[in-house]
Amino acid sequence: MTDDATRTLGKGSIPPGPVPEGIIRLYSMRFCPYAHRTRLVLRAKGIRHEVININLRNKPEWYFTKHPFGQIPVLENSKCQLIYESVIACEYLDDAYPGRKLYPYDPYERARQKMLLELFYKVPHLTKECLVALRCGRDCADLKLALRQEFCNLEEILGYQNTVFFGGDCISMIDYLFWPWFERLDVYGIADCVNHTPALRLWIAAMKQDPTVCSLLTDKNTFLGFLNLYFQNNPGAFDYGLSC
Amino acid sequence: MGSAPPGPVPEGLIRVYSMRFCPYAKRTLLVLRAKGIRHEVININLKNKPEWFFKKNPLGLVPVLETSLGQLVYESAITCEYLDEAYPEKKLLPGDPYEKACQKMVFESFSKVPSLMVSFLRKQNKEDCSDLKEELHKEFSKLEEILTNKKTTFFGGNSLSMIDYLIWPWFEWLEALELNEYVDHTPNLKLWMASMKNDPIVSSLPTDVKTLRGFFNLYLQNSPEACDYGL
Repeated sequence: MTDDATRTLGKGSIPPGPVPEGIIRLYSMRFCPYAHRTRLVLRAKGIRHEVININLRNKPEWYFTKHPFGQIPVLENSKCQLIYESVIACEYLDDAYPGRKLYPYDPYERARQKMLLELFYKVPHLTKECLVALRCGRDCADLKLALRQEFCNLEEILGYQNTVFFGGDCISMIDYLFWPWFERLDVYGIADCVNHTPALRLWIAAMKQDPTVCSLLTDKNTFLGFLNLYFQNNPGAFDYGLSC
Repeated sequence: MGSAPPGPVPEGLIRVYSMRFCPYAKRTLLVLRAKGIRHEVININLKNKPEWFFKKNPLGLVPVLETSLGQLVYESAITCEYLDEAYPEKKLLPGDPYEKACQKMVFESFSKVPSLMVSFLRKQNKEDCSDLKEELHKEFSKLEEILTNKKTTFFGGNSLSMIDYLIWPWFEWLEALELNEYVDHTPNLKLWMASMKNDPIVSSLPTDVKTLRGFFNLYLQNSPEACDYGL
């Protein structure tokens, strides 16, 4: 059981106290892909942290003091500094914490990873639209076609680079930033969107071998349970699968 | 279109593919100047792009940086950060990870302004702009709140830094688009604009209102002469 498997806090909950020194806090939700990025980075860098899960359908009033629109993920450190936007949070962690660097040192290679991230920007929206369409019984052939096109662009990059991962032969920041949406392809019902992209499938397989990715993999049935309740607008969705 | 591709970039120099009136490219030019980086500029006619330019950026957009090693960097914010990291003198981004993250969060707060300004440009005097005006007012109020909370002149503190250069080019458009009144309700933002105009780097790259308006007119008519207006 991972350390982020705690019940969400919702309206009427008591605001958490200050973050103890030596620890960083992440406001999160177990099934959110954006927060997943930050959890991957925290794990990959071995950063001591605590997770507070937020009920996104029933947000605590105090949470708006952490983020103006109540979004996740948000990092809070013991100096009460708040950092939000998943990509900014991930970069902050890489800068602030020593040890394993996830972004390359070389400025050009760093820029390359950021340019790659730009290539990815349509994927989150398209995967979500596919999920919603399928769940509502609508046809999503056009959406899947658009998603496949995006995957072809990524396939081309891997082909051109001739490397296993997007940053080279070792896993790095860009791979963790992409991963959450690929982990969800199967449970969203759109795993066939990588049928024509073999290098991307190899990348997915290689990612599943990574210890950090593995340690945070969500069980398919748990995810399906969450999705079922989420689409029924059940505020208990976010706590699905927790024992007590 | 039909022009010969430029040769490789000489050592000791960095090249920027730009366009004189592009606010995104202006970001990169400001950073190059502020950091005193030796560079050459090749302006691209964005209404009549040379075929070879797509080899520099598959999206065919400016700005693009090219190094003497043939490395290409595009997306204006990425080019600016690349320059700050590759050229260690006169750092524009803070060294402190949290302060750097703050600048990036401010940048996100600014993100709706460019498309709003372009919408204004396209609609000018033709249609009712009241929705747009309300949205712009909202965005400027957000920026005002940031300055009010920080109690500093600039968005990164009491000295000018990266975030100020990144957002400045769109504020140059205010006068040309007759939107100056939009900072009347945001006194800190108005003061910031005045401070920016006084900055030696900003004033070394002025944008003349008349020339900008001339460019806007031609650009809206899709004229291939637009990008060279005023030369």
